[in-house]
Amino acid sequence: MDAECVSLLPGVCEVLAASGRSLPDDTSLEKLLDWFTGLTEAGGSLLDACPCLLDFISTVVHNTASDPGVLSFTLRLTGLTAATEDGFQRLQERSVLNQVFHRQRWQEAGLWEDPCFRIGWIQGLRSMLRHPKALGFFVQSDFIDPLLQLQTDASLFVASAANQMLAHILLFFQPASSPGCNGADEKEEDGDGRTRTTSAEYTSAVAAISEYLKASLVPQKYTKLRQSLQILKLLALLLARAGPPLWDKLLQTVADSLEELVTAGCGQLTLPLMDVILAACSRSGADERVLDQHVLDQRVPDQRVPDQRLSRLLSSMLNVDEPADLVHAAAAFLRRGHHDIVHTARAVRILLLPLHIVTGQSLLGTNTTADERQSSMVEQLKCKSSCISVICVCLTNTPQITLTPSDSLPCPPQLIVIAVLSLLRICSGSSSSSSSSSSSSSSSPTGCSEVCRNVIGSGKVQKCALEALTALSSSPGAKDAISEVFTVLMQYLDNPDSDATVLHKSYQALVKWMSVSPDLSVVTDPLRRGLEEVVKKRVCDMRWEVRDSTVEFLGHLAGVPVTGTPALLGVRCTTPLLKEALQDTESYVRASAISALAKTLTHSWQQGAALSQEETEIVSRLLEILSQDTEGFPRRAVVRYFISWFSLRSSSSSSSSSSSSASLLTQCVRSVLSQGSADLDWEVKVHTLELAELLLDEAFSGHRGYGKDGAASDRTCTPPTHAEGAESQLAGVVELGVISALLSGLVDCDRPVGLRACRLLVTLRDAVCPPSPDATAAAVATVSCELPGWGWGQEVRKTLGMKGSDIAAEESIGGGGGVNEGGDGASVHVSVCEALTSLGLDERLKVLTRSSDHVHNSPLSLLQDILTASAAHTHPDTQPGQEVIVDCY
Amino acid sequence: MPEIKVTPLGAGQDVGRSCILVSIGGKNIMLDCGMHMGYNDDRRFPDFSYITQNGRLTEFLDCVIISHFHLDHCGALPFMSEMVGYDGPIYMTHPTKAICPILLEDFRKITVDKKGETNFFTSQMIKDCMKKVVPLNLHQTVQVDDELEIKAYYAGHVLGAAMVHIKVGLESVVYTGDYNMTPDRHLGAAWIDKCRPDVLISESTYATTIRDSKRCRERDFLKKVHESIERGGKVLIPVFALGRAQELCILLETFWERMNLKAPIYFSTGLTEKANHYYKLFITWTNQKIRKTFVQRNMFEFKHIKPFDRSYADNPGPMVVFATPGMLHAGQSLQIFKKWAGHEKNMVIMPGYCVQGTIGHKILNGQRKLEMEGRATVRILFQLDVKLQVEYMSFSAHADAKGIMQLIRMAEPRNMLLVHGEAVKMEFLKGKIEQEFNCHMPANGETVTVTTNPSVPVDISLNLLKREMALGGTLPDPKKPRTMHGTLIMKENSLKLVSSEQALKELGLNEHQLRFTCRVPLQDPHSDPDTLHGIYLHLKSVLKGYTIQHLPDGTVMVESIVIKVSSSAEDPNTKVLLLSWSYQVKYFHLLKKG
Repeated sequence: MDAECVSLLPGVCEVLAASGRSLPDDTSLEKLLDWFTGLTEAGGSLLDACPCLLDFISTVVHNTASDPGVLSFTLRLTGLTAATEDGFQRLQERSVLNQVFHRQRWQEAGLWEDPCFRIGWIQGLRSMLRHPKALGFFVQSDFIDPLLQLQTDASLFVASAANQMLAHILLFFQPASSPGCNGADEKEEDGDGRTRTTSAEYTSAVAAISEYLKASLVPQKYTKLRQSLQILKLLALLLARAGPPLWDKLLQTVADSLEELVTAGCGQLTLPLMDVILAACSRSGADERVLDQHVLDQRVPDQRVPDQRLSRLLSSMLNVDEPADLVHAAAAFLRRGHHDIVHTARAVRILLLPLHIVTGQSLLGTNTTADERQSSMVEQLKCKSSCISVICVCLTNTPQITLTPSDSLPCPPQLIVIAVLSLLRICSGSSSSSSSSSSSSSSSPTGCSEVCRNVIGSGKVQKCALEALTALSSSPGAKDAISEVFTVLMQYLDNPDSDATVLHKSYQALVKWMSVSPDLSVVTDPLRRGLEEVVKKRVCDMRWEVRDSTVEFLGHLAGVPVTGTPALLGVRCTTPLLKEALQDTESYVRASAISALAKTLTHSWQQGAALSQEETEIVSRLLEILSQDTEGFPRRAVVRYFISWFSLRSSSSSSSSSSSSASLLTQCVRSVLSQGSADLDWEVKVHTLELAELLLDEAFSGHRGYGKDGAASDRTCTPPTHAEGAESQLAGVVELGVISALLSGLVDCDRPVGLRACRLLVTLRDAVCPPSPDATAAAVATVSCELPGWGWGQEVRKTLGMKGSDIAAEESIGGGGGVNEGGDGASVHVSVCEALTSLGLDERLKVLTRSSDHVHNSPLSLLQDILTASAAHTHPDTQPGQEVIVDCY
Repeated sequence: MPEIKVTPLGAGQDVGRSCILVSIGGKNIMLDCGMHMGYNDDRRFPDFSYITQNGRLTEFLDCVIISHFHLDHCGALPFMSEMVGYDGPIYMTHPTKAICPILLEDFRKITVDKKGETNFFTSQMIKDCMKKVVPLNLHQTVQVDDELEIKAYYAGHVLGAAMVHIKVGLESVVYTGDYNMTPDRHLGAAWIDKCRPDVLISESTYATTIRDSKRCRERDFLKKVHESIERGGKVLIPVFALGRAQELCILLETFWERMNLKAPIYFSTGLTEKANHYYKLFITWTNQKIRKTFVQRNMFEFKHIKPFDRSYADNPGPMVVFATPGMLHAGQSLQIFKKWAGHEKNMVIMPGYCVQGTIGHKILNGQRKLEMEGRATVRILFQLDVKLQVEYMSFSAHADAKGIMQLIRMAEPRNMLLVHGEAVKMEFLKGKIEQEFNCHMPANGETVTVTTNPSVPVDISLNLLKREMALGGTLPDPKKPRTMHGTLIMKENSLKLVSSEQALKELGLNEHQLRFTCRVPLQDPHSDPDTLHGIYLHLKSVLKGYTIQHLPDGTVMVESIVIKVSSSAEDPNTKVLLLSWSYQVKYFHLLKKG
């Protein structure tokens, strides 16, 4: 630990113990605990490092008038301190532990009322319970009962913490043979007497908890439902992670109660109950295959809950009466990824039934028997809110259903896609009755139209169905439905009632389906024309959200590979729309249009095609945006546009046809570097540096010393070897404005900008500036760059330690033309290499690589803050008006 | 009994990140989705795992409502919608929707600036999240679905801040967000209908304070800036991009004009233009004065405030600079602070709260020697002597204790629930409120359950109301319940109170007259007609103003009451008075009086 921290800690402890009230900043105590936790996890002893903590704990716990926040902190700190046997022993010697965790005492003092105190009690104990002695203390102090009571605490957070703690006790101290346990195993083998006691204590803890689970799992009355819920959550936690003996014991204890619960069919418990059964199943049959024989042998066969019983429970869950619960149970089953064919088939049928009813598609085949509970499901779906919720659950699971083995599926996967499409049609009102959508005899039970009415116009179902449709694009056989998918999506895009999110999702679905089915021959000409029209309409929509989604769609469309057939929307259609969108009033849309244009032009850049008049116009418009747009997003997009252009062009071979394009690009790059590095937006600057990096890569990638790991290299050990032309290359990048951009970025106030610039400058220095003078070095050293007399230039000059005399000296390097104007505002020329070697780049890089707030978010800073805050608040001169009020931001 | 459940995931007994879950009439609503700037890890966001369980947020939540653009109310929104996953509707007012992404970007920048930040949202996520937002207009009822409706009211805390009335059937909740009951320089005061919600969830930042007028704080601010400028000092005001900055800009702009000051005022990072654009765009959300003078001069077109360039910081002479970020975390404001901290003549004014771990927090607590990271020197760390003057001026616009009580009187809730305040202060206010209402102050994670009365809606026919009015009743006043007579009929699952005539008509029934009779024995030696005449005269004398007739058929009529006299067969001196009347209460007293 930092010596300075050690010296400040006693003062802080004194402040906390004496103040009797919480600190003005509610995060300070949490951060202090974070620090202590870090120290403990690093393996150190807290009491050795900070002996004052022992006194602090003793003092605070004796004062029941202390602030509950400080007391809660102290409880948690005590737990951390007692996490090692040594720390535990020392606290016991001072008889502190009994005081700290004495629940009755705190209850009498009225502190137990505060949930933050109860959390402190639980978390303190939990931190402590890392060794057998702590478990002994816990059991002997009869803490299990209060902990079990806290499981149903009024506070969600306390109840959850209590559950976690109960799980921790049972899992952490499991006997050695259990996989993943950490308990008293080693010592048990040594035959240590104390450990045997611990073992007995563990057994008693298991017994007490099991007893509680057994007695309370089935709610005696409605008000006890929450308790059952909490127990089920605990059981799910335990059964998923317990080793065989504990697993068996637990399951044996609760099997009857679980059965009772399943039979009782309480709707609110369906999901947690399913979780428990699935957790149990996942560790039974499946896990047995991976457990070694030794572990299996440990199970006492007679006491085991047979797998058939679990399987029966599962069957019962997938057979409950309440249709909504049934659907949720089936969804939970599929989500857990079980592969048992019988139950999977059952779950699939359950989840397809509502879709079967609403859409009239024969998803369940012709064999829709009474066991499908069709009529009760229809009744359920007649209630609007329940219908929407059930349909959404089913839709969410459709992609998963199509991926189940075909023997579990009652219909071909394509039919599920068709059903989702039918549902989308019904939702938009374009297909009013399910019975009309299918002539199948098994479909459309009476009451279907009533059900359909519930989903018409439901945005929730539409969004859910569109998401499902997007995911279904990768389902087996889905491609067959592509034409119909396009038709439905087109209807949605054209529908004036579609809300912005629905349109967004429709576009996403369209792009996804196109990307999995690049052969667009199935898309008919009328559909293509329809899409063109709809996009033209949507790009002028009143809502910026819709315009933006449309423009984004055009960009994505350009990125989708198409084989054989013409693209869905040709460049002739999209480019004018995107050009128009550059003028949009909403900056998000302008930015999306720029990105989309870049994607649209990707192919032509890669081909090295000559620039069209239109493209040239776009370029000048983009440069205008970079210099004039008042918002950052479009300017960022402009720089990214040029990055794409530059990088894609570089990869193609230059041809005479593209020479004019190359020269325009060079002009643009120069302009982007100068404007981008002077931009007010930090991300524009970062992107500008990305462009600078590409230029450096191009200029120096042949140089052996040019590495881009960004780390400061040991320059004395690996002198870079210079290839011919380093001098001219350097002069080239200086001329383009790369060095100016880097130097200006280096002194920028935003860390990401400074860091990127610094990394690039280090790389450049290592590549082109030799540490020892030789002929090449002399030539490179003559390359100079201009430092303006203001802004960044001034700061760089200051860093270089340049005064008036230095500037005069530098003039000679710059060929005498350094000073353009007299006075402070004059610019000077400096040798690039000299600047790079004198800027202290390696030290800078170290600083910039660290978090910008590492100094002020450090433990030392925290301790200082607590001390000064406390001094400020207890100062007699402090006027009430001067108090810093915790406020919003 | 129907119940409303309220569970704060944040802002329960603290001023951290607001995130309150309300369950009403089977609908689940999230009120605000804020972040805590004091943490760099998961703790900065509300723990959504408590509500997601196995499913997705979209399955659980019916809608999310954001009260205003401050990050402790909306900062976790992109994380929730794009990273945890929520596709449902998000509601906020038009100005909040416009300004929210600016602040989210501002904060993203600070976060990226720190190294090692993970689990944070991107610009694309902010945009995608904002695309899910449905804008709200004030006083416009928005139907979220068939049952759930919401309505926004002016909250006056920042531009676009709204309180929201949430209604499902007859149950309702009002969430205030942050609000201010006194108008300030650019915003008006909060206002709400007398909507009598079952629960009013109110912020309580200044629960124990009766705040001095904001005018005093403004005067103080101007005085301090002026003094510093006069002695040639430079004034740094670290701000977040939007909100308080604009308020202070108006202050300085008018003061500069009035005093004819020449020292330059700068606003850094180019945000001013966009921010002011929004203030101009949403002029209807500002206060009356600004709206009135808008035509002659837009308050947000600043003559004296110019964009800042980093080189200006070294210029000699006095100046005022607004720079981001607001807590001196990093970036421009910190860079300027480092340059100016060493001179006594200079001043930094912190107009808002600073979390621990920032330079702002340190200097506000009086630290004068700061460990600093140096990039410009070979030394990595150096010590900065803070010699400049440090001032804290809270300009935050929250209702004080008086304002909170004022809002309670406006809305007349059945139950109160306090959030967004410190426990001790809340406790004090709770004590006050409990004299009149049930008041709750749940901690984070605690659920308050409020039982509501099962109200049965009854329609009243217009005719019946008119008749009631004609009978001299005052206009209906919910504060003064009174009895109303009519026939309650149930038809097509609805209840209706109508006049008996209408009831007969609607139910297709015939009217039957009921008459009540009674016999009163009387000792009178006169003949029957004389006795009757005597009674007639007596009634005539005591019941003045009523129609009393002695009819030729030997009856006396008092209004509709019929009186006859007959003699007993056994004793002619014993007369029997026969009274007959239809059931009309208003005449019953006549019988008694007569």
